[in-house]
Amino acid sequence: MEPGAVSGILDTTLAVVFTWVGYKTARIIWKYTPYSYPNARIRAMEAKLLSEQRFNELAESRTLQNFVVSLEDTEYKDYLAGVSDYTVEEIERALERALAGTYELMVRILPKRSAPFFRLMLEEWDVRNVASVVKAKLAGEPASDYVMKIGTMLPKVKAIAEAKTMEEILVVLEGTPYEEPYQKLLLGEISPEEFETELYRRHYNKLLSYALSKKEDERIILEEFVRLKIDKLNILTVLRAKAAGMSAEDIRPMLIPGGSVRLDPLLHVDDLSMALAELDSTRYGPVIRDVREEVERDLGVLERALDRHILERMNELSRFYPLSVAAPLGYILQKEREVRKLRAIAKLIEDGVEPERIKELAGDAA
Amino acid sequence: MDPIVYVSLGAALAAGIAGAASAFGVGIAGAAAAGVVAEDEKNFKNALILEGLPMTQSIYGLITLFLILMVSGILGGGFKFTDPNSMDHIVKSAILLGAGLTVGLTGLSAIPQGIIASASIGAVAKNPKTFTQGIIFSAMAETMAIFGLVGALIMIVTGVGF
Repeated sequence: MEPGAVSGILDTTLAVVFTWVGYKTARIIWKYTPYSYPNARIRAMEAKLLSEQRFNELAESRTLQNFVVSLEDTEYKDYLAGVSDYTVEEIERALERALAGTYELMVRILPKRSAPFFRLMLEEWDVRNVASVVKAKLAGEPASDYVMKIGTMLPKVKAIAEAKTMEEILVVLEGTPYEEPYQKLLLGEISPEEFETELYRRHYNKLLSYALSKKEDERIILEEFVRLKIDKLNILTVLRAKAAGMSAEDIRPMLIPGGSVRLDPLLHVDDLSMALAELDSTRYGPVIRDVREEVERDLGVLERALDRHILERMNELSRFYPLSVAAPLGYILQKEREVRKLRAIAKLIEDGVEPERIKELAGDAA
Repeated sequence: MDPIVYVSLGAALAAGIAGAASAFGVGIAGAAAAGVVAEDEKNFKNALILEGLPMTQSIYGLITLFLILMVSGILGGGFKFTDPNSMDHIVKSAILLGAGLTVGLTGLSAIPQGIIASASIGAVAKNPKTFTQGIIFSAMAETMAIFGLVGALIMIVTGVGF
């Protein structure tokens, strides 16, 4: 072979090898590098989540002042620093701020391609706030008691709570995604329950659209997360409705589209027991089987079992995709659970419940 | 191309690709290290050890660079393969290019090693007992770089000789 031919073969091989290697390397770097910092930080934060032993110690606080002091060596310290009257409301607000702070941290440290999802998740608190405040207004109750100090439009929520008339609320909601459903509510086209469902429907539609706009791992994880959340809400809605003896036609408008489970067969059964049997053949069968007897007495048990299932699924995904959005999602779920448990303990302490009973009840609350 | 170009390219790619890959690997693991230290300074020692693992590929690259420069005569004497029309010179310079490329490309293992180290840093921050396992998992990626270095040494010694 001529030296020129050998040179030609070498040059071509080099070009092909470098193009392929360059492309593959760039993809790997683009995919994993942005999650390196946040996910490691989140793992370190997971180590700081309160253990069962800590919860038991908190349950033995006896007074809310002791409860706050016990939390001084945790990351709640800064949020609880402003607590002076040691009322349960004040502590709850501090815990809500801590949870909001976690969401905001996720938005700050996660890569741009997934951070907006956490901003959207934070909007669920807006939905809860708007729905509960409007419902409280309609019922003539003091609406500000229902405001949770978390969300992306807290000033507007406070303004709604302070509004003197229902029309004034419409002015506050102008330009927000909640304006249109509220208009329908004002015109009497939908009931307060349908208004709440509509808010959740729009919110989950937004989350699902965002998840579906992503690619590869991110799409798999975010889509699974949103569908699991939708399934949880729909299953609980159907089962509660069945327990109340509602018909399929009455239940259908209350469902949120986008879940992974076909709910039609469930809608047409006669009672809760049959609905649970129907769910047995779905992906939630194993989740329900473990708590079946308790669920028939208390649907809250199922809600907690489904929450645990979502968390376990996110943990599974974060083991499979260690540098992905699964770890932050799992952390947020754990943080929400922790805050829920702390709030429950604080309330039970205020009610003067015995520590042993608090331990039992707080475990149930999570 | 002239044999000098192949030889220089071999030396440059060995050190260049492996060095760049090490930089990326250390960068990925370093970002994770910064993350865990931001939460708790006690994580510093473990994170530092894991962060340093992807650095070794750049050392293999540097060793190969020196070897190529030495056997070709660029370092410590005159260049041995000067004739572009000699098949022997072309082949020997191509072998040196291949050796450099082998170390450079296997040195890319520093990037996945950085990813593994990054995940391990997170795991160790959550549970310090997983430190040894983290080191072992991260070191697995090193194997490919060692194979590359061994292969390159064989190519240089048997194909070109000192």
